Amino acid sequence: MYDNSKARSEESLIRTEGIEKTFPGVEALADVSFSLFPGEIHSVVGENGAGKSTFIKILSGALEPDSGTIYMDGQKFPHLDPHQSQDLGIQVIYQENILVPSMNVAENIFVGHEKTGRFGFISYNRAMEEARDLIESLGIDLDPTVKVEELGVVAKQFVKVLKALALESKVLIMDEPVAALPPEDTEKILNLVKELKQNGISVIYISHKLEDVLEISDRITVLKDGEVVNVHDVDAEEIDEDLISREMVGRPIDKFYKKEEIEIGDILFQVKGLMKDEDSPAVDLEVREGEILAIAGLANAGRTELVRTIFGAEDYEKGEFEYQGNRVKILSPRDAIATGLGLIPEDRRVSGLASGLSVKENVTIADLDKLGDVFLDMGREEDFVQEHVDRLEIKTPSLEQEVRFLSGGNQQKVVLARWLFADVDVLIFDEPTRGIDVNTKAEIYKIMQGLAKKGKAIIMVSSEMPELISMSDRILVMKEGSIVAELTGEEITEEEIISNAV
Amino acid sequence: MRFKSLFKNQTFFLFIIILLLSVAAGLVNPRFFTIQNFLSILRQSTVLGILSMSMALLLISGSIDLSIGAMMGLGAVISCTMVMNGFSVFLAVLAGFFTPVVGSLFNGLIVSWNKSVPPLIITLGMSFVYSGLSLVVSGGQFLSMQGKFYFLGGGEIGGIPVPVIVLVVVVSAVHVLLKYTKYGRRVVAMGGNEELAFLSGIETRRYEISNFLISGGLVGLASLVLVSRLGSVVAGVGSGYALRALAAAIIGGVTFEGGRGTVFGTLLGVILLGVISNGMNILNISSYYQDVVSGLIIVIAVIVSSIGAWSK
Repeated sequence: MYDNSKARSEESLIRTEGIEKTFPGVEALADVSFSLFPGEIHSVVGENGAGKSTFIKILSGALEPDSGTIYMDGQKFPHLDPHQSQDLGIQVIYQENILVPSMNVAENIFVGHEKTGRFGFISYNRAMEEARDLIESLGIDLDPTVKVEELGVVAKQFVKVLKALALESKVLIMDEPVAALPPEDTEKILNLVKELKQNGISVIYISHKLEDVLEISDRITVLKDGEVVNVHDVDAEEIDEDLISREMVGRPIDKFYKKEEIEIGDILFQVKGLMKDEDSPAVDLEVREGEILAIAGLANAGRTELVRTIFGAEDYEKGEFEYQGNRVKILSPRDAIATGLGLIPEDRRVSGLASGLSVKENVTIADLDKLGDVFLDMGREEDFVQEHVDRLEIKTPSLEQEVRFLSGGNQQKVVLARWLFADVDVLIFDEPTRGIDVNTKAEIYKIMQGLAKKGKAIIMVSSEMPELISMSDRILVMKEGSIVAELTGEEITEEEIISNAV
Repeated sequence: MRFKSLFKNQTFFLFIIILLLSVAAGLVNPRFFTIQNFLSILRQSTVLGILSMSMALLLISGSIDLSIGAMMGLGAVISCTMVMNGFSVFLAVLAGFFTPVVGSLFNGLIVSWNKSVPPLIITLGMSFVYSGLSLVVSGGQFLSMQGKFYFLGGGEIGGIPVPVIVLVVVVSAVHVLLKYTKYGRRVVAMGGNEELAFLSGIETRRYEISNFLISGGLVGLASLVLVSRLGSVVAGVGSGYALRALAAAIIGGVTFEGGRGTVFGTLLGVILLGVISNGMNILNISSYYQDVVSGLIIVIAVIVSSIGAWSK
């Protein structure tokens, strides 16, 4: 077992020794030693279930370890409670929104410890000034007078960080801050992290994206099954993504999924002259049986809007659709499904799942006609759903389990199972593997490949280069609402995609 | 394991609360534990019970209607007014039934047409419209059915009060609708996540309107039972019912967010409210205190029963 915690122990801001935590049936953390120096970016990586979240919760005081010691500023604690943790200057930047949408940036930063002027009334000027100072110190582009509800995802992340800094934090724990962000926004967050370091703030950075982790980290702790596999010093060692991902899972994971050659058949579905508004560009596309057609582009290139429009979920000015050469009418998702289309949306929690409903109910909802005219045949439903759960290896304790309790990967499989159950022939994936761990990713790819093999047509919107390059037969690059390039075969390279997208 | 999951079941908790309250009331006054009294609790719960089914249906579908009590009152007022003005009982009953149906349909149309104002606000406003109309129609007078149309609210079949039978039929029907039909499954999904429902090919607007229509049918039925049971009404007869129906549904595990809750839970909520008011009558608690006590018990019941739901 690698132990780096003693090396510079007297200087470390946080140090843990032999942290153990067991949940019923699972050893979440086993003998975890960790240290964080002032002004250091220390990443913690590992697969889903490796113990990252548990470890953060112990540092933030949300969980009590079974044994082990935490040293903060030289003081020794058997465990922390949330107040102690905050008093010691540890702040966690969660993915969830903790901001008040109707208040402006400055007000949000100082919520709970408002800046007061004479007579104890709130001083908006002081808040605004101090907010400006904070923003300036990080060199970010943010107007403190804007309401939070008008901000984009990245700017909201900025506000969360500023809010933590206003509490004079010494340590920021960032849990997957870029999980749902396109590359250009990711870069902004990474720059912010670097800037924090310049300001002497220590950051514990949790991410699935090894590329980012390597870019910013001073040290990287690799967790696997609750144990520290290794602690890397990024400057002193020769390390790459491959090495780390091998350590994470104990075997190399090919970043590029090896997709089989699949014979491509006739045109299955075609879009002709689709225009969102009177003056927007007309979009044409066709997808063949067995083909995986990808749509690449930057975040605001209009990819999600395009696929949602094709699926009938958004209004359009004009356009024609053909299925197997026959003209079809698509004015609503209902029409689209009847035609044989299925959409696996970008944001599972918002539009992909009813999170309080069971696995069973989520799978069958798009094609209840299969289960009867008026009454549902519950027995048949059970069999059908069980079959798909087995086939896709969805890990769930029962078919009645509410989907919110499943992991991201299994949730995505539930959405996928819905369209397999509805037996559609054209599957539209919007970011098929966003927020999904590496192993489940590979499973999703395998399922997609299996579908293509069966002659289904797949349209895939993706922002992930490895995914685009390894999975697609053909790539359409979108920019400002129109298709600007079509790449096939040898042309499918990272450089080609990017140069066309920007 | 099975036993443990029973403890985490909100409906089970509710059942225990009802049992405890009954035992407490029975210990103080043994008259509580008679079949006569039990039937009387059920009979007194029928109108609220039917209304609560309408509320539960709408809440589960992700909507709400706070004007159901006012619409029921308007229906009852119209029935009586027609009888008093010489119309046939048949026509009066028909009008009493269809008034809430039309009102609900109207609510549903507004709610589904305007997506920016929540149904809570729209139907709160409409409740003033309907209760105002009751005043207009009745002219503030005390109205009577003149002893006609007694059976639905006061009759018995084989010793069982007819309204209780009606309630049992309604509860079973709504249960079957929500649990075993395609329609019901779609409604639950819509309440769970409207965007998902839309993307799954469900015409959410159509379903929303038809839910209001079904709800209107239930309110119409409640209106008939009410007018038949009471025999005479005043304009304000429906006031307070909507909120009690809401309380019953929430106590029973239905949530404001939609997609959750059961018909039987709601029925237990109704019975809890019935047991509380009956118990207090039997214990001779002054009616001035009854609202205070039942309000407190509602809050306690909701908190205790939701502990079960939290600990999952």
